[in-house]
Amino acid sequence: MYPKMDEKDKLEILKDILLADEHEFEAKISRRIEQLEQTVNEREKLSEKVDPIIAFQLQEFKESIPENLGPTITETLRKEIKINKDVVVDALYPILGKMIKKYVAQEMKLLSDKMNNQLSFLSIGKRKFRSFFTGKKEEELMMDDLATARIQQVLLIEKDSGILKASFSQSDAMDEEMVSGMLTAIKSFVEDAFNQRDQNLELIEYELYRIHLQSFATHYVAVVISGNFVLSAKNKLQDIIFDFYNSFMAMNLDLVFETNNAQKSIVPVPKSRVERELAKYFGNAKL
Amino acid sequence: MQSSKKVVVLGHFGVGKTSLIRRFVTDTFSDNYKVTIGVHITKKVVEIAVDSTISLILWDLEGTDDIQSIRQSYLLGTHGAVFVFDISRPSTFQHLNEDLQLVAEKMPEVPLMVVGNKSDLVEDAELKNLLQAQELTVDFLTSAKTGSAVNELFLKLATILSSDA
Repeated sequence: MYPKMDEKDKLEILKDILLADEHEFEAKISRRIEQLEQTVNEREKLSEKVDPIIAFQLQEFKESIPENLGPTITETLRKEIKINKDVVVDALYPILGKMIKKYVAQEMKLLSDKMNNQLSFLSIGKRKFRSFFTGKKEEELMMDDLATARIQQVLLIEKDSGILKASFSQSDAMDEEMVSGMLTAIKSFVEDAFNQRDQNLELIEYELYRIHLQSFATHYVAVVISGNFVLSAKNKLQDIIFDFYNSFMAMNLDLVFETNNAQKSIVPVPKSRVERELAKYFGNAKL
Repeated sequence: MQSSKKVVVLGHFGVGKTSLIRRFVTDTFSDNYKVTIGVHITKKVVEIAVDSTISLILWDLEGTDDIQSIRQSYLLGTHGAVFVFDISRPSTFQHLNEDLQLVAEKMPEVPLMVVGNKSDLVEDAELKNLLQAQELTVDFLTSAKTGSAVNELFLKLATILSSDA
């Protein structure tokens, strides 16, 4: 005999039978929600899922910046410069200002030195004289003089070691011993790189200056020149260097080895004497 | 009278050649490592006796693991040399004797100082054992960081060079 069921119990059994599938579906959904909750709440699990997506989006964004934002940025900068010119100038001045200031100061100094030379009483007299005989205007002659190449510095350097033997300078602007070493290193590097033992580096250009290098057997002469260093000026300079070499260096066995006189003892010449000779040859030279 | 002498400083990468020179010339040190490319030239006038000075032109050559590959033209006319290794990095002195042999072949009769740098990184006892175990003969153990023995090294070389003149 089965126990007697009331209406409510019967209804429950009927519900269980009819809604069995829905119950299973409900349980499945709860499990998925639980899993999702776990993923969202636990940072590591979330980042595992989301990071690759964000990375991909970021990469796409980065790649599209020039195309999408480039014109906007350019336009913004243009407007900003137009409206707040002073602020932009203030921001850029420390960087550009120093460069421009240095350049202008250097140029002004050079121009001022040249003008002073040109305006001296003697120069004016000479120019008037030249103008009278050549028929050229004084202004033109003055401009010609300003553009002329001038010797600023002469360094006599031992070829292998880069040790400075003597120097002549119009101004004391640099550490000549260090420059001699550096010039020798550059010279060695270039000559090594081209693997041409019988060829020499002859010219280095440095903004307003040219450094002419003339090599001999054991030494080389580096001449720093400002102004317009044209071919005729180069020829004149080489003549001066060779004159110096022939009349002075050839006598100095410390500098040049004479094969036909090998028994002769080496006589070192004092630096001061070499420097006097350099000043004599290069000091008033006209290129 | 003051004479000038060319001194080359050479050795493997990152052994502290530039730092050693900077400590000697400007008495400063920086942890910032910058690789030397080609060569860097500095100068210091050293007083070796009363009224007697010598100008050292220091050629800081770029580091190389193969001493044979150093440009011969950079070594021409050298009066003195300093070979630097890092005592905290065995790879820089494992073949020290062979390296020194090569240096001597490249610059015969040039006075050479062998220097173990970064002495501040190794304990004294450890250092002693290390040198004995490797059978290394070192002229100076220096630290560019603390300045230990740096001036002594260059002063000794300057003295040797002045007596050679």
